[in-house]
Amino acid sequence: MSANYILKRIALIFYTLFIVSVLVFGITQILPADAAVMMLGENATQEALEALRQRMGLNDPVWMQYLHWAGGVLQGDFGTSLRTGQPVGPALFSALGTSLTLAGFALVFMLILAMPMGVIAAIRRGKPADLIVSFISYIGVSLPEFVTATLAVMLVADMWGLLPPAGYIPLSQDFWGGLERLILPVVVVSVMMIAHVSRMVRSELVDVMHTDYIRAARLKGLHPRRVLFRHGLRNALLPTITIVALDVGYLLGGVIVVEEIFSIPGIGRSLMSAIQNRDLPVIQAGVMIMAATYSIVNFAADLMYAWLDKRIQYD
Amino acid sequence: MTDFLRRLLRTPQGFLGSLIVGLILIAVVLGQWLTPYGPADMQALARYGAPSVEHWLGTDQYGRDILSRLLNGARSTVVMALLATFIGTLGGAVLGTGSAYLGGRADEFIMRTVDAVMAIPSLLLALLVVSLLGSSSANALLAIAIAFMPSMARISRSVALAVRKQDYVSAAIARGEGSTYIILREMLPNVIAPIVVEMTIRVSFAVMLFATLSFLGLGAQPPATDWGLMVSEARQYLHRSYWILLWPSAAIALTAIGFNLLGDGLRDALNPRT
Amino acid sequence: MTNSSQPVLQIRDYSLAYHVPAGPVPVLKGINLQIERGEILGLVGESGSGKSTLAGAVMRYLSGNAHENDGGIFLGDTDLRAQSQRAMSDIRGRRMSMVFQDPATSLNPTLCLGEQLAEVLIRHRGLSRAQAWREGEERLAHVGLKTPAEMMHRMPHEVSGGEKQRVVIATAFACNPELIIFDEPTTALDVITSRQILDLFAELQSETGVASLYISHDLALVSQTAGRVAVLEKGSIVEEGETGELFRNPVHSYTRALIDAVPRPERRLVQPLAAASATPLVTIRDVSVSYGRKSLLDSILRRDFQAVVGNRAITLDIRPGEVLGIVGESGSGKSTLAKAMTGLNRFDGLIEFDGRPVRGLADMNRDYRRDVQIIFQHPDASLNPRQKISEILARPIRLYGDRTDGPARDRIAAMLERVRLPASYIDRYPHQLSGGEKQRIAIARAFLSNPRLVICDEITSALDVSVQASVIELLMELHRDTGAAYVFITHDINLIRQIAHRIAVMYRGDLIEIVEADRIGDSDRAPYTQQLLAAVTSPAAALGG
Repeated sequence: MSANYILKRIALIFYTLFIVSVLVFGITQILPADAAVMMLGENATQEALEALRQRMGLNDPVWMQYLHWAGGVLQGDFGTSLRTGQPVGPALFSALGTSLTLAGFALVFMLILAMPMGVIAAIRRGKPADLIVSFISYIGVSLPEFVTATLAVMLVADMWGLLPPAGYIPLSQDFWGGLERLILPVVVVSVMMIAHVSRMVRSELVDVMHTDYIRAARLKGLHPRRVLFRHGLRNALLPTITIVALDVGYLLGGVIVVEEIFSIPGIGRSLMSAIQNRDLPVIQAGVMIMAATYSIVNFAADLMYAWLDKRIQYD
Repeated sequence: MTDFLRRLLRTPQGFLGSLIVGLILIAVVLGQWLTPYGPADMQALARYGAPSVEHWLGTDQYGRDILSRLLNGARSTVVMALLATFIGTLGGAVLGTGSAYLGGRADEFIMRTVDAVMAIPSLLLALLVVSLLGSSSANALLAIAIAFMPSMARISRSVALAVRKQDYVSAAIARGEGSTYIILREMLPNVIAPIVVEMTIRVSFAVMLFATLSFLGLGAQPPATDWGLMVSEARQYLHRSYWILLWPSAAIALTAIGFNLLGDGLRDALNPRT
Repeated sequence: MTNSSQPVLQIRDYSLAYHVPAGPVPVLKGINLQIERGEILGLVGESGSGKSTLAGAVMRYLSGNAHENDGGIFLGDTDLRAQSQRAMSDIRGRRMSMVFQDPATSLNPTLCLGEQLAEVLIRHRGLSRAQAWREGEERLAHVGLKTPAEMMHRMPHEVSGGEKQRVVIATAFACNPELIIFDEPTTALDVITSRQILDLFAELQSETGVASLYISHDLALVSQTAGRVAVLEKGSIVEEGETGELFRNPVHSYTRALIDAVPRPERRLVQPLAAASATPLVTIRDVSVSYGRKSLLDSILRRDFQAVVGNRAITLDIRPGEVLGIVGESGSGKSTLAKAMTGLNRFDGLIEFDGRPVRGLADMNRDYRRDVQIIFQHPDASLNPRQKISEILARPIRLYGDRTDGPARDRIAAMLERVRLPASYIDRYPHQLSGGEKQRIAIARAFLSNPRLVICDEITSALDVSVQASVIELLMELHRDTGAAYVFITHDINLIRQIAHRIAVMYRGDLIEIVEADRIGDSDRAPYTQQLLAAVTSPAAALGG
């Protein structure tokens, strides 16, 4: 991995954010919403509206508005919310923190479950354990988050009363209370990824265990544990890094649904309400932040992969 | 064709998938005639009914027959998902293979842009498109199609590039075949199989995305019988009857499982070398 | 523990079948073999003969659907079949070990070479990590690696194929085993490298006196390596004997056929060219090919861009009806030249075909396409898996044929007969044919356009010896009948000396020299040519002319 590659990869992140910004700005421009009306209300006078439009630059050509907005974003200014009148940036970034807590827990939970599941299915290929894992993963990839969430709330919260059905308390405020409310959302949002990643781990490991170098390792008389862990798993789990990183896209989508259902004040919920209220600056900023999160995670995953797998010669 | 079917039904995934998808398609085509009740027929005396002889799957908060509503909803949910996947795949395939065909800088530009769009989670992209166009089933369809295009473009491009490198394509070029023949007869039959497999699996995602949009209130609108909408409505009446929640959820999951299984079965059956 | 009179490896009446849904498929039938201490037994067989399964049976490494009879396999006085998997893992790598065909795939790509060597020493000799590492360095030095300490820390992809195979060999010898199984250890290597590996093997073998089972499809090679040879055909040992004797007086017809199929440079299969002074059919002038493209980032940063060279200013000519051989190691640019001539690679320079200049793709018109045909190495890849033979063979007729030749189907049937395939194959798909049959289809496709130049790019290297011999025979027959010139690209020097009029030697993108086939052994040849030739096992010396 060369400095050249890292440079290229960083340039790509900026290109991604540029395209996303153009796209999201374009969409929000076409959206049938008049920011001035939204801020001042339906009863505002024509003069007042016109004055506000002038002040907000809404009468400028679209590209000037874009440049103005993009310039602001580059300086960390995402504009002000049309609904609350508050700056968008700080509110969204604190919401992002909440969402990342949820996503982070989900990732860890997913890895703890999906990796052993995939490994067990692969080494017990064709045996009951494999069939059970594969059954679970077929069910898992076929349940949308809102179904899992609704069923989970029905069972765990309503019928058994084990956990609170919704709500969010920051972990810094009340760790155990917060954790208790995070359990259901974390489980729900990771179901799909558990199913997907365990299947990937299984098929990667099955492929690796059929390679010549695994045969060679066995025929050197190495202990089966060493063959599996030192020779097999290492090679099978490397591609999983990339798959998990790409799944972060799903994860972020799932976060939107789950935050909505469990009333978690994260970035997904902010986005949903912004979309319903046509709060353009919040939509723009929210999408940018999501895309940036995805890009950075994938960049990190690529670096990690290249660092672990010395074969990859990026130029 | 019979040979292909035999190969498909030989694998457990292919068999189960064909069975489930077949049943669902029957429900889609014949659903209207099979329903014992009208989807909107309300029976005030039979609200929140548990499954019974008259109402196999029970009744909902207005006393409507759930089985009838599910069968009725199969048409909108599944057909919409199929259409959305098809449009998305077609768009993505044209973009991806076109990009692979152009090669060089144009290819790099197109694919980097596609990658960039993929940084927006597809649910979010669909949400944006729906909010731009307005909440309705047709717009949700378009939104899902658009949300699928980038990843389908990526997949078709990599398949097309892999096929493009094969010696039989080189042989055709060396023979002086025209590009029409090379694309249609040498490449397309080999490109299409993996794309069909991917498309089948995608249908299950489309069903789920579609239901999610309806659930969030951005797809079909009441009193439609869309499955996602049925789940969403049922949530309020959870403590009265869980059947109204369970059945549409199961329908969504079963459809998704069916198309997932069928896709995996097709992958094996369409491989010419096995 | 092993007394000197006892063989190191003994296989008695051993049979094995794989159980598949269609029923049992016998793979090994009544095998009897034994190898004494210090002896090398060569096991020769073609693909599907069961030689790799036999190696697996000895190592006790068989797939789940293998069913064995009650035959015996003994290492010294240890009954290997009675050992548990646990006990076997103590024997593998310590008392017997294995060297595999392709060092590129038999070494774990993500572990450094040192670890893959040291782990055996730790496992079987109970050394500590530091001890094992030190011993590993000594072992690497012993197999002729120049910088062993450094080598230990290298990753497999950072070293050459020959170096990798040396590490694998060092690992196999690490615990001074009683038996080593060599499974085609040089097949994946270049000619000169594989000669060096063979020399190393011979040296270590005589030094340690280990018993060796040397599996190979290459008779010439086995005849020089092994003291005794067993010939395996469809799971049975049809003949076994002392090497010289077996090759001089083969008893079994299969052995004889195998020996006959080995290419011998002195047995020429091609008629001399009638008039060597004829004007050339093709003239290649200063043809260069380079790969790679300047990236956008490079242009932005104004960096110099280093293209990869495929060919460097190649100049040669091909006479009408001539068979021109091109030899060289992998990466020498042989195939690159073939691709340039068929419009699959961009090139700089000039190709003149029958007096007509061709400077690039645009100049390759229909006539040029018809006249110049290419056949690829792997028929699996060059025949579209989704087209029937009828469609594959109809294309050249539709493209270049004139209507007066009769219906396409008849011409295809006639051509199938010419390449000695049954006419019924016309409605089959490629995957329903064997490797050799598929290559015949590819040959038929090339000849259906009545070409004047056929480029054969390693077309026999994926085939078994006997299949190769029959494909070569077919090619020579077609050569006689059609008078087409051939460019025959190969790494098999014995083969090319048999069939070529002239031989071009290439090395790392350069054309070293072009010589008459019968003068390639002369002492005034380029040093590289001499090196190449010296590395080749001459079947004449080995098999007894």
